[in-house]
Amino acid sequence: MTTLIEAPPSDADGLLPSKKKSSGGGLGTYLLIRFLLIIPTIFILVTMVFFLMRVIGDPITAAQGGRLPPEALAQRIRDAGYDRPIIVQYLEYLGQVATGNFGTTITDRRPVVEMLATFGAATLELAINALIVALLVGIPLGLIAAYKRDKAPDAVLRFFAILCYATPVFFAGLLMKLTFSVWLGWFPVAGRASTRTELAMGGLASPTGIYWLDALRSGNMAAFGDIASHSVLPAVTLGLLTAGVFLRLVRTNVIGTLGKDYVEAGRSRGVSNFRLVTKHAYKPALIPIITVMGLQIALLLGGAVLTESTFEWKGLGYQMVQYLNARDFVAVQGIVVLLAVIVAITNFIVDVAAALIDPRVRY
Amino acid sequence: MTATTESGRKQPFIYRLPVISHFRTSVGLQRGMLVTGLVLTVVFLLTAAFAPVIAPYGFAQLSDASGTFPAQQPPSAAHIWGTTVGGYDVYSRVLWGAQTAFVVIVVAVVMSIFLGVALGLLSGYFGGWLDRVLVVIADAIYAFPSLLLAIVMSIVINRGQSSFWGGIVACSVSISVVFVPQYFRVIRAETIRLKAEPYVESAKVVGASSIRIMGRHIFKNATRTLPLIFTLNASEAILTLAGLGFLGFGIEPTSAAEWGFDLNKAIADASSGIWWTGVYPGTAIVLTVLGLTLVGESMNDLNDPRLRGRRKSVGKTPAGGPDSTAGAQAALEAESRVL
Amino acid sequence: MAINKKALQSAIALVGVSAFALTACTGPSGGGGGSSAAATGPIAYGTTDKVTALDPAGAYDNGSFMVMNQIYSFLLNSKPGSADPVPDLAESSSFTTPTEYTVKLKPGLKFANGHTLDSKDVKFSFDRQTKINDPAGPASLLANVDSVTAPDANTVVFKLKLANDQTFAQILSSPAAPIVDDEVFPADKLLDDDSIAKAKAFYGQYTIETYKKNELISFKAWPDYKGALGKPANDAATIKYYADPTNMKLDIQQGNIDVANRSFSATDIDDLKKDSKVKVNVGPGGEIRYITFNFDTMAYGTKAADADPAKALAVRQGIANLVDRQAVADQVYKGTYLPLYSNVPSGFLGANESFKEAYGDGGKPSLDKAKKVMTDAGVTTPVSLNLQYNPDHYGKSSGDEYAMIKDQLEKSGLFKVNLQSTEWVTYSKASRADEYPEFQFGWFPDFSDPDNYLTPFFPEGGFLKNHYNNPTVNDLINKQLTTVDKSARESAIEDAQNALAKDISTLPLLQGAQVAVSGSGVKGVDTTLDASFKFRLGTVSK
Repeated sequence: MTTLIEAPPSDADGLLPSKKKSSGGGLGTYLLIRFLLIIPTIFILVTMVFFLMRVIGDPITAAQGGRLPPEALAQRIRDAGYDRPIIVQYLEYLGQVATGNFGTTITDRRPVVEMLATFGAATLELAINALIVALLVGIPLGLIAAYKRDKAPDAVLRFFAILCYATPVFFAGLLMKLTFSVWLGWFPVAGRASTRTELAMGGLASPTGIYWLDALRSGNMAAFGDIASHSVLPAVTLGLLTAGVFLRLVRTNVIGTLGKDYVEAGRSRGVSNFRLVTKHAYKPALIPIITVMGLQIALLLGGAVLTESTFEWKGLGYQMVQYLNARDFVAVQGIVVLLAVIVAITNFIVDVAAALIDPRVRY
Repeated sequence: MTATTESGRKQPFIYRLPVISHFRTSVGLQRGMLVTGLVLTVVFLLTAAFAPVIAPYGFAQLSDASGTFPAQQPPSAAHIWGTTVGGYDVYSRVLWGAQTAFVVIVVAVVMSIFLGVALGLLSGYFGGWLDRVLVVIADAIYAFPSLLLAIVMSIVINRGQSSFWGGIVACSVSISVVFVPQYFRVIRAETIRLKAEPYVESAKVVGASSIRIMGRHIFKNATRTLPLIFTLNASEAILTLAGLGFLGFGIEPTSAAEWGFDLNKAIADASSGIWWTGVYPGTAIVLTVLGLTLVGESMNDLNDPRLRGRRKSVGKTPAGGPDSTAGAQAALEAESRVL
Repeated sequence: MAINKKALQSAIALVGVSAFALTACTGPSGGGGGSSAAATGPIAYGTTDKVTALDPAGAYDNGSFMVMNQIYSFLLNSKPGSADPVPDLAESSSFTTPTEYTVKLKPGLKFANGHTLDSKDVKFSFDRQTKINDPAGPASLLANVDSVTAPDANTVVFKLKLANDQTFAQILSSPAAPIVDDEVFPADKLLDDDSIAKAKAFYGQYTIETYKKNELISFKAWPDYKGALGKPANDAATIKYYADPTNMKLDIQQGNIDVANRSFSATDIDDLKKDSKVKVNVGPGGEIRYITFNFDTMAYGTKAADADPAKALAVRQGIANLVDRQAVADQVYKGTYLPLYSNVPSGFLGANESFKEAYGDGGKPSLDKAKKVMTDAGVTTPVSLNLQYNPDHYGKSSGDEYAMIKDQLEKSGLFKVNLQSTEWVTYSKASRADEYPEFQFGWFPDFSDPDNYLTPFFPEGGFLKNHYNNPTVNDLINKQLTTVDKSARESAIEDAQNALAKDISTLPLLQGAQVAVSGSGVKGVDTTLDASFKFRLGTVSK
């Protein structure tokens, strides 16, 4: 039971046929196989969401079920082609997706690709903001907790981390809103920008959709300030939740590494604990940290349903619930395909990074 | 190899039970965390068990001998935590809500463990195509947005019906669909690792059957991390249930009391100065999740020799044992899917 | 045990108190800071409704129709403060024969993009509705139109299937009837919103300047508008779309928007009423809530083992005697819904309170009457009811509403209620496929006419498919639809309501009010809250 046979934390390796050190399993082969695995994952997700969405009902009944007689409803469903054999619809959909045609949403009639771009930009902006908070808070505090391990600061920080995680994000969001916008009046209640800024952003020639970037590019500092003040509460609410994860992750892994033989050796030679944490211990701790952070980032990019709903942030997560309620399968399918791609690519990048940091991971 | 790794001496059975052995191993702050967690968890469990006795009213009760309950009354003698917009007694609903939360946790996590452990063992032990297919599927489900999955499942399974058990089963199944891949990953990774251990190899050489090896040797060892994952996923189950309730896919108030649902209803109240409808169920969620997570975290620390508090008398701990890494990893990965 | 209870109580009470300290300071005081850039700028309107499409052929919902009302015109439209259609694009209109409705257009009309607006566009607008017949569109409203012809540039003739249709003027101001530009819209398929905005295919009080679907729309008053609504009281307006009514509420309290319309929760409105900085405007509402009885599957229904129409009627009458509408309206809806005592809601031609007269005690429930009617018919009590409601389509309060009704019915000892809820898509199908014996439903009118509360519902079970069929009622309903004389029509409507109250195909419960909240110094909101249910941004000023 030495560290030499320790199973690497990433388990994608288990999939790879060549597990022996011998076969020409170079980095290139590893990456190729790893990359090809993205395809079945996406295919399974597309299939899953397609059939699940057909099971839970059609958009026409959802919209008109309260007004039309059943026959008229059935006629409209027939007209729309939703009564054809499901396998025919499925093959048709696969054919469309294969040719890059994702269709037009049913409930608000926008091309899926454009819809994804619009809401994806909003989600990306929120994810970046939250990630900044999470990294700024989570990593330093995690290092401090590891460094001050089992002392009062560690206890306080760990309690803080668990509290961040234990508070449902909508409850935290509500308390934040009531405190900082209604009571203290420091920040706006919700939304991505005030109406004036929204209009200014809407008038730009080729907007990225990420408001603060657009504001910077157009040199509109007033708008930038407005956007920044709108960003604070959602970013902090979501960021703290993620920071709680990062804090615990960093702490656990750094302590774990500090216990390793070579670190012990360093300590016995009089290297200070602080130096150990900042210079030596962090690198081996990096792989699990990267793995989990990758996943967490993928989740953030997938849209934080509850945060977006609480803060009026019209991104993918919020929209997905709207489309789901309206049984807009075209839209939900589109969003899930995008999520699948994001998660798959993030996982890929994470595995590649892990393979580069520690070559043993490949085998 | 039992839960107790502290020494080779055979301990009395009771000391080898997960939580108790953890308690005995713990010192200082870690003991504090564990105890806090245990207290909160025990309070939660007792509330769930005795809700019918403690609660002054039923969870869906709207009137008593003295007439219909008034709506949105601030806390008073008759309703110590006030009433909701529908006229429900907040105190009673919070107490009953513990019961709902408990049932959902148990059903959800037990369901996930059975499926996840079975599939993980098979996949890890036999490997090959079965393994590859299962891993790809598990990864795909894992990548599926969990709340979306939960929502869709709650519609599919129950056709949106609202009966108590219907709602519970729908919520539990939706939660377990999300959890199964997590258990699967942990157990599979452990199984693969253990398969290479000398004692398993030797069992193979002796000619033990696959079932026997899986059952006796691997299952026992691979599942050591389960109590830990159990507590952490229990918290996640509560948060998912609350998230579902918040989005309007929870259990209707006449079928059961559910904290997330009540909190959802209370959002409008909070901005109107009616604090009592939201604060109590919200706090109940926070405290319950806090308790379970504290227990889980402490157990994680105590399982892992490297993380365990350094007690003076304990000299050398076997460094770098891989045993709980996978568990801790999975537990951490399991977090914060309810964004 | 007691110790644990106490421990839990005090632990939670402690957190509760500190949280109280937090929220108590924040609650009703409303907005403190917040950017109040609302001095001379445009009128900002907030809503939680959504836009499906700006193309009139592709949308049949409140959110889309609200926007259409600002940018399109109709042949006939109602002026603020009234629901009676008056000439809008039309100069005059009337039945020239019982089956021909002729409209003369104002001469020389042009869309905002300069294209001419003449009878060709009108014919085009109606023809494409029928042709496209989109699943989400309002083409079904035009079922009575046989053909549309345009004999000359300023004349349009509608040939109708049913003679003297008294609702036709209303149809011409309904979601099926906005007039669109035939040079921009395709005849056989829908046009997407951005193309419509870009082509400026508008003829309304406003043109759209910026369009971000379901996020923000900015309008500018259009100076060349010559329709019935006149010149708007402001020169620009925006619509902001909200996901969560609480955010909309906080924004109106902080002055970030000037008007907030659909839809607040009852709690929000109750609280806003107490806030001196905003004004809660209430207008008549057309939205109704009712319980439908399935005549086949209810207790003693025609398909039940112990079928007995008299006993089934007694069960329905028992329920009608027991429900306390006022209590539900006050407690659950805090006055945002009012008790409804007839199938036709108050405010419409001929509406009466037939259920108030027939059942209960002057609007209050009556246990004695319920007991009597059920014992007289020989009904064995308690009767088991399987009452169904839907939690996600008719507002979040449905659960509370039905919990209260269950309580009211069970308190009498005459009923045992098994209350169930089901999500909307399943619900709307199952309810009308005989799966639910008693179920909740609601209605929002297509246009402002009493007929819209009768014809869709009752002749031969109507769209509810509840197997109710009373030839007398059918005749009365057909009669009112085609009676030209107003007072004769009114009495036919009254007779129909009285007959319906006797049979109880549906049990009317509540009628919604239109509620719009306006910020300080904002005027003109109450003017537009009339029985046409059209919010016109042009009436608002500050």
